[in-house]
Amino acid sequence: MTLLDITNLKTYYRAEDGWVRATDDVSLSIERGETVGLVGESGSGKTTLAKSIIRLLPDNAEIVDGSVAFDGTEITELTDSELRKQLRWSEISMIPQNAMNGFDPVYTVGQQIVQVIRYHEDGTSKAEARERARSLFDELGIEPDRVDDYPHQFSGGMAQRAMIALALALSPSLVLADEPTTALDVVIQDRILETIKKMQKELNSAMIMITHDMSVVSETCDRIAVVYGGRIIEIADAETIITNPRHPYTLGLRNAFPDINDDDQELISIPGTPPELVDPGEGCRFAPRCPFAEEACWEVTPEPESYGDGHEVECHRADEVELLQTEAGKKETWLEQEIGRPDDPTADRATAEVESDD
Amino acid sequence: MGLREYVVRRFLQLIVTFWAFFTLLFVLFRMMPGDPTSMFILDGMTPEQREQRIAELGLDQPLYVQYVEYIRQLLTGDFGQSFIYREPVTDIILIRFMNTIVLMGTALVFAYLIGVTFGALMGWWRNSRFERGGIIVTLMARSSPEFWVGIVLLSVFVFWLGWFPSSGMRTTGGELGGGFVARYGSLDFLRHLFLPALTGAIVYLATPTLLMRSTMLDVLNADFIEIKKAEGLPERTVLYKHAARNSILPLVTVAAIATGAAMGGSVVIETVFNWPGMGREMVRAVNNNDYPVAMAAFFLMGSVVILMNFVADLAYVYLDPRVEYE
Ligand SMILES: Nc1ncnc2c1ncn2[C@@H]1O[C@H](COP(=O)(O)OP(=O)(O)OP(=O)(O)O)[C@@H](O)[C@H]1O
Ligand code: SF4
Ligand SMILES: [Mg+2]
Repeated sequence: MTLLDITNLKTYYRAEDGWVRATDDVSLSIERGETVGLVGESGSGKTTLAKSIIRLLPDNAEIVDGSVAFDGTEITELTDSELRKQLRWSEISMIPQNAMNGFDPVYTVGQQIVQVIRYHEDGTSKAEARERARSLFDELGIEPDRVDDYPHQFSGGMAQRAMIALALALSPSLVLADEPTTALDVVIQDRILETIKKMQKELNSAMIMITHDMSVVSETCDRIAVVYGGRIIEIADAETIITNPRHPYTLGLRNAFPDINDDDQELISIPGTPPELVDPGEGCRFAPRCPFAEEACWEVTPEPESYGDGHEVECHRADEVELLQTEAGKKETWLEQEIGRPDDPTADRATAEVESDD
Repeated sequence: MGLREYVVRRFLQLIVTFWAFFTLLFVLFRMMPGDPTSMFILDGMTPEQREQRIAELGLDQPLYVQYVEYIRQLLTGDFGQSFIYREPVTDIILIRFMNTIVLMGTALVFAYLIGVTFGALMGWWRNSRFERGGIIVTLMARSSPEFWVGIVLLSVFVFWLGWFPSSGMRTTGGELGGGFVARYGSLDFLRHLFLPALTGAIVYLATPTLLMRSTMLDVLNADFIEIKKAEGLPERTVLYKHAARNSILPLVTVAAIATGAAMGGSVVIETVFNWPGMGREMVRAVNNNDYPVAMAAFFLMGSVVILMNFVADLAYVYLDPRVEYE
């Protein structure tokens, strides 16, 4: 059953030189209990997408178009107080990247968990809320008495567990985990991920797991959405994204994490820089960095194509899957000088546009 | 355990600080260059009178005896006689000190209550018209000279509207006597207090307002504010219980220092409103070489500064769990 249904969502930031299209026409739906990973480079719009869901956006951001339906309720149309009372934390909670900074330093972790429980549940007494905090701590592998500790008394991994306790205190239907383990070292990272998975299974919560680390999503997610330049350019079940992706960007990302398809492969990175999100113009946003770009790629924005089983790809050449996969595995393919528009008419066009604007 | 140890250690430190301060005062007043006795001797005394006076003051004793005697006097609150009034210094200074505490204390309480609230809201509504207007008002208050504020308030509320008395601390007699309640508890006194306290509050307002605003801006960028919003807590809770509560920390020290400094009284306010406080008394004492009074005044002011720092340190420990005791 569909829990969250995002359709054609556009969340833009107002900036000096125009609108930053951080989430640009994104559609994504999530089932109850499902874990969806959002992967992509820094600045691709993962956080913006997640925060749009609970409308936790900065003042200069605006949801310009599209809809976010949560369990049948249209979130973009709720008043602030409906949003706070009906959805925030009781239905949708979040785990931030740095848990240590996610707690208010002047209150104990327990006080903060009790506060949010009691705000959302009228009938719960302080003692009951406290007891729940203690048992959550216990389940997450923290000594229950530590609910009386202040955040600064926790280690990084411990604070992250405490943050998970906070996020799960009201058994939400959806948890937004924004790089929940990036701040931790690798060993602790794995254990935290396991804990998150275990708790999420128990509560049957859905989760959006944001990361730029392919190996994290491959371990934890049912489905993976690859985000590039404010758009989901490929989405499929985790297995397909790892073993049988069709989009050149996904193929490139996969190269950057060689250990996940244990081919004993060399680390190859994608040359170039993330795309301009102000006035991106027509054409595939990945074209300037794509070794497979053709004339059409520069002119026409690719539409999502379906390849069965919920596998959707935004690429003009996604049909040539064998060629793409073979070539993308070679280091020569990704050499910088081979990439870019051959006779580069874009440069001229861009200058011409700037001039005509004046 | 850590906490109790810290308080005890901090208390011992307080005693040492006081001792150092007493000694410094002693050095300043008894060992000034030139004849150390000259400042205690008035012109036009006969040699016998001088001898008698020196013996009376214990200035013929060895220095360490004088020092011990001096400490004893301080601890018993005995500062000797004023040269000018021919009255015990304690009687003169203590009342004025109380007057100053009441006036400046009121001004500070209002300045900090209003300033903290105002600054917190300015930070919360950043980039709003409220914030911009608030900054302008605050900067105007900050750059207005004390006497000018006082005179404007006087002309508006006294000479024009006639709501408040123009000067002094009370209508009848203007005497300083009476018990604490009799002196400060009456409505008449409060009416006299209002304008000078308001003047002080306006002058002090800028520091807490601007500091509060800028710490708020920092705190509002912290991750936990976003989490508290995501938790669905009402704005009030996020604003007061989390953002303002964290932003107030740096103000504790600033408030303590301001209080210490304010206890010297304000010569300007006291002059404009004819308020019998410490500021004018000190100027008078220094101008007339009334050393015992001047010393008592320094002693009280310094003591308040030291005490307030102690209070600030303890308050800080209470308010910020992250403080390291080590
Ligand atoms: N408050 C803002 N004002 C203007 N632009 C913003 C703002 N916040 C983010 N952006 C821009 O929006 C784009 C998407 O940012 P976002 O934080 O969603 O990316 P992300 O994928 O989460 O990146 P990261 O991996 O670094 O967290 C970026 O280009 C960023 O510069
Ligand atoms: S559409 Fe063209 S440029 Fe874009 S990813 Fe596909 S091949 Fe590359
Ligand atoms: Mg992000």
